[in-house]
Amino acid sequence: MKKTKMYLGLSALVVAGIVLIAADHIDALSTTGQTADVTDFFAFEPTEGSDNTVFVVDLQTNVLPDLAYGEFDENVLTEINIDTNNDLVEDLVIQAIPRDGRMYFFGPVAPAQTGLNSTVMTDLPLGDVTISGATAVIETTADGVKLFAGPRQDPFFFDFFQFNAVIGGMAPGGFKPAGEAEDTFDGANTLSIVVELPNSMLGSTSGTNALGLEVYKTWVTTNVKQ
Amino acid sequence: MKISAKYIMFSLLTMGLVTSCSDDDNTPIVILPTCTDGIMNGNETGIDCGGTTCEPCDDGMMTIDFAGTYSQIDFMGRPGINTVFGTDDNKDAQNVAIPSEMAAAFQPAYEARLEAYHDVYAGLLGLDPTAVNYENNILGLDAPTLTGYLAADVLEVAPNLPTTYFNPGTDADMDGSLLVPDGDEVALTGRRLDDDIIDVSLILLFGGTTGDRFSGQDTDMDGTADLPRLTSDGVGLTATFTDTFPYIGAPE
Repeated sequence: MKKTKMYLGLSALVVAGIVLIAADHIDALSTTGQTADVTDFFAFEPTEGSDNTVFVVDLQTNVLPDLAYGEFDENVLTEINIDTNNDLVEDLVIQAIPRDGRMYFFGPVAPAQTGLNSTVMTDLPLGDVTISGATAVIETTADGVKLFAGPRQDPFFFDFFQFNAVIGGMAPGGFKPAGEAEDTFDGANTLSIVVELPNSMLGSTSGTNALGLEVYKTWVTTNVKQ
Repeated sequence: MKISAKYIMFSLLTMGLVTSCSDDDNTPIVILPTCTDGIMNGNETGIDCGGTTCEPCDDGMMTIDFAGTYSQIDFMGRPGINTVFGTDDNKDAQNVAIPSEMAAAFQPAYEARLEAYHDVYAGLLGLDPTAVNYENNILGLDAPTLTGYLAADVLEVAPNLPTTYFNPGTDADMDGSLLVPDGDEVALTGRRLDDDIIDVSLILLFGGTTGDRFSGQDTDMDGTADLPRLTSDGVGLTATFTDTFPYIGAPE
């Protein structure tokens, strides 16, 4: 009985026209369509064997009409959090905040306080870069850190409308096969913040993943000025 | 202008000192740096400013107002967690939560959501919802363990290993299953732009122990699929990317 209700509930969600967008695009009522909406997060080694790590944070999207898109908000502090000792509490933060056409970066540095409230760590500037238009403007600092902020293609790919049909109980066959399926995000743009830095600036880690491999545990937050 | 003038005065003075002492090789000239000597010396980071002794430099960044408290409004670790597992009751709460508290806060709801997705297909297949349930996945994780792991929503990135979110298409030990970890796999080491995180997630949620539990099989061989295709959404990367910074293609 309970499960039948849940099934009906899921269907009703979609019938009511509530559209969910992934990966973190428009994921919740309070952030949907806002300038602080985190849409995606990537962390990777730029080339195999590199001693650098790249973080990509995407904010805002124009995948659907009528969403806030196009300008970084000076009241929004974007923070990449890095746990290096496996307790899921940030040991280091990298911060990015725009002012007058430039994106200012701080860290990596231990935050003044962990948790939900942040202050900008002005004592440890990482560098700053002109916010790009269509052509990328890149800043490389004396420490070998590369910085970028500006519009880019939204690299996320997902047949999201079919997903909504699937979870709504309206697609008996499930997802469409390759060739018939469509990437909902094809042609969409996002505002990217990209930082590449030497691993030596992050130090060692005692964190491990499910396979026992040594990892930093990372997450991104947006934070609005109070 | 003032600094330039100071600098010239200092240079002249220094030349004078050097000249007057040039015939005395045994007496080194030591000029102690000060915060008023008109040059960047000691550990100053600008002329007479910065470092451990002098006042902070007025270098532009410091004059910009970054003051204030900024409070968390949105959160993301792994892709799709809040979107796929969250409900209207807890999506906003997850965005203002901290990772160390997430597993306890959200695992039960995420497990219920995972089961509800299976019930959708029980309904479509004309089966009793209690008969179609999550089955341990290719990592051997049961529903509480999987949803607990995912609820602690962080993206792991390895500093010293190649990056792969997961490569579920590799039958590493040739046992006929897509991927059963046997200790030497590299996975969960970050997320590349081209990692197909949706297919990975679908395989972990709906693939069962073999990774292809619901993948559009034609079980009675009549030319029509009898099971839904739930382990791949059928799309790959469409955006362009490059191998040089900032890696993602220019906007369209």
